[in-house]
Amino acid sequence: MITRFWAEIGTAILTLVFGLVIVKGSLEFGIGWDSSGPQPGAFPFYAGGLVALASLGTLTLTIGKRFAGHPMLAEAFLDAARGRRVLSFLLPLAAFVVLSVTLGMYVATILYLVFTMRFQGGYGWIASLATALLTAAFLYFALEKFFQIGLLKGPLEPLLGL
Amino acid sequence: MDNIANLMHGFEVALTAHHILLMIAGVLLGVLVGVLPGLGAPNGVSLLLPLTFSMDPVSAIILLASLYWGALFGGSTTSILFNIPGEPSSVATTFDGHPMAKQGKATEALSFAFLSAGFGALCGVVLITLLSGWVANFALRFSSPEYFAVYFMTFASFIGLGGASPFKTVVSMGIGFSLATIGMDSVSGNVRLTFEYDVLLAGVSFLIAVIGLFGIGELLLTMEEGLKFEGVAAKVRIGDVLRTATKLPRYWLALARSSLIGIWMGITPGGPTAASFMSYAMAKRSSRDPDKFGKGEPEGVIAPETADHAAGSSAMLPMLALGIPGSATAAVMMGGLMIWGLNPGPTLFTDRPDFVWGLIASMYLGNIVAVVIVLATVPLFASILRIPFAIIGPVIVVICFIGAFTAANREFDIWLALIFGLVGYLFKKLDYPIAPLVLAMVIGDKAEDAFRQSMIFSQGSLSIFWSNALVGTLMAIGLVLLFMPLIGAGLRRLRGQGETRTV
Repeated sequence: MITRFWAEIGTAILTLVFGLVIVKGSLEFGIGWDSSGPQPGAFPFYAGGLVALASLGTLTLTIGKRFAGHPMLAEAFLDAARGRRVLSFLLPLAAFVVLSVTLGMYVATILYLVFTMRFQGGYGWIASLATALLTAAFLYFALEKFFQIGLLKGPLEPLLGL
Repeated sequence: MDNIANLMHGFEVALTAHHILLMIAGVLLGVLVGVLPGLGAPNGVSLLLPLTFSMDPVSAIILLASLYWGALFGGSTTSILFNIPGEPSSVATTFDGHPMAKQGKATEALSFAFLSAGFGALCGVVLITLLSGWVANFALRFSSPEYFAVYFMTFASFIGLGGASPFKTVVSMGIGFSLATIGMDSVSGNVRLTFEYDVLLAGVSFLIAVIGLFGIGELLLTMEEGLKFEGVAAKVRIGDVLRTATKLPRYWLALARSSLIGIWMGITPGGPTAASFMSYAMAKRSSRDPDKFGKGEPEGVIAPETADHAAGSSAMLPMLALGIPGSATAAVMMGGLMIWGLNPGPTLFTDRPDFVWGLIASMYLGNIVAVVIVLATVPLFASILRIPFAIIGPVIVVICFIGAFTAANREFDIWLALIFGLVGYLFKKLDYPIAPLVLAMVIGDKAEDAFRQSMIFSQGSLSIFWSNALVGTLMAIGLVLLFMPLIGAGLRRLRGQGETRTV
């Protein structure tokens, strides 16, 4: 179980690192003044700096509240049951992204919908396949034919002559 | 009177069969987006935006604006029938709307919600009609320092009035500004902050951020809650609607007060969500019978709905007249305007009056179309929610990622959407406000240009932000808004001391 305290701390550290990365990146371009006005790094430098400072603020505040015994920080951020539900949604979703860039978005859509319906939703093969194929076909006609927008395609579409 | 003539011209633009059809399509899509969990108004607009690149801007904005109205209405439908807010701004509607539905007064609750929402929206549009020309004229006097001051005011009010931890608001805002600077710098021509990754050369699009933060993030949260739709069946009969409509004038005070709150929160970037909560709280506090709230009191539906829609429509005023969006959805639309090659702000009124007034006229028509359509299609959209989430959820995921890809036809954006999704989930769970991030991404470049040009005028001295009465006033208002929580606390302490002295 992750408590709210650790979630707050972890996120604040992440945003702190993000801020520092931006600050470091901006320093490359100069944050001072040259003949054409403020140098290109100035604005991102201050934006990144604000992020880093405010993250430190959140860190201090959270730790301070922890010592004051604030009850909200001890609450569960994510318990086992909830975590499982999130993962069971997130993992296929991530797989969909990987499949999209390797096999193309149409194939990924079909595989993803069949998987979620058949193995997570408990539907039969026929219902799952029909829904997945119909969705992909609808997207194909709406996007490629009607709006003339091409989606990412993989190795399979040329074989089908699409 | 100029405004009225302009508006009539606007109606000529908006009242064509083509545009009315677009309104109907937009409203239907909007209701769908509003009803489905994980898809909201900002998201719907982001997903549809790439499809409008080839349309003419007037048609495109009418379609997107109608989608916005539809989404606001759709969110209330699910709040009342299913106790699940389809939009964050309709959370307050669940408090009394769902109890009313459970008592068998679903039609009454829906009718009250839609009619008062329509009223609120029209109030907002009337305000836009009357004020936009004047605000735009006023803003023509602005130069870079004034613009920077107005941007400062916008973000100061997020920090001071937003309700979230000020640190978290600053983090969210700063991340937005930082992301906006990635890629080509329009002033110096340098490529900034790409860290040698070629995929970052073209920058990070706000559309991907919205799709990830609002769409994927919201879906993850929905899954975690393990939500079940247990709805109340509703059929809407014309007779019931008319009977409810005759009861509406009784609540004139609530309508007027909520419209004012909504308009104020829409113009200042408080947004519809804050407006609906504030309006609900005000209605409850000023009611003779506050105990009835939460148990199915019609005023508890009317107050948040009116304010929600008044805020939603009046958020378009600062977007059009100043180039500052008043809500996340308005921010996405403004980004769209810039992609279509329009420059939101005072010059838009003189350069493209057909666009501005066509849009304003379409707001009147679009909201009326929306009330009619939404009343007619309640059973249809309620039945969509009976499709199990195991099917609907993954389909929404697919649509979000396809939307992310079509925004710029870049493979990298799909990954980016996934990352933004995770960030959105984390930020929502930990009460980081997301709207400032999106706003900062959209106006980041403009804010930076305004800042740099001001600095060039003044040779690097910050005193330029106090150099004349106009910019000084704007900065002062910004500072007051920024320190609002501290000022409020100070006043309370003073008043507290005053009271102890009198006792």
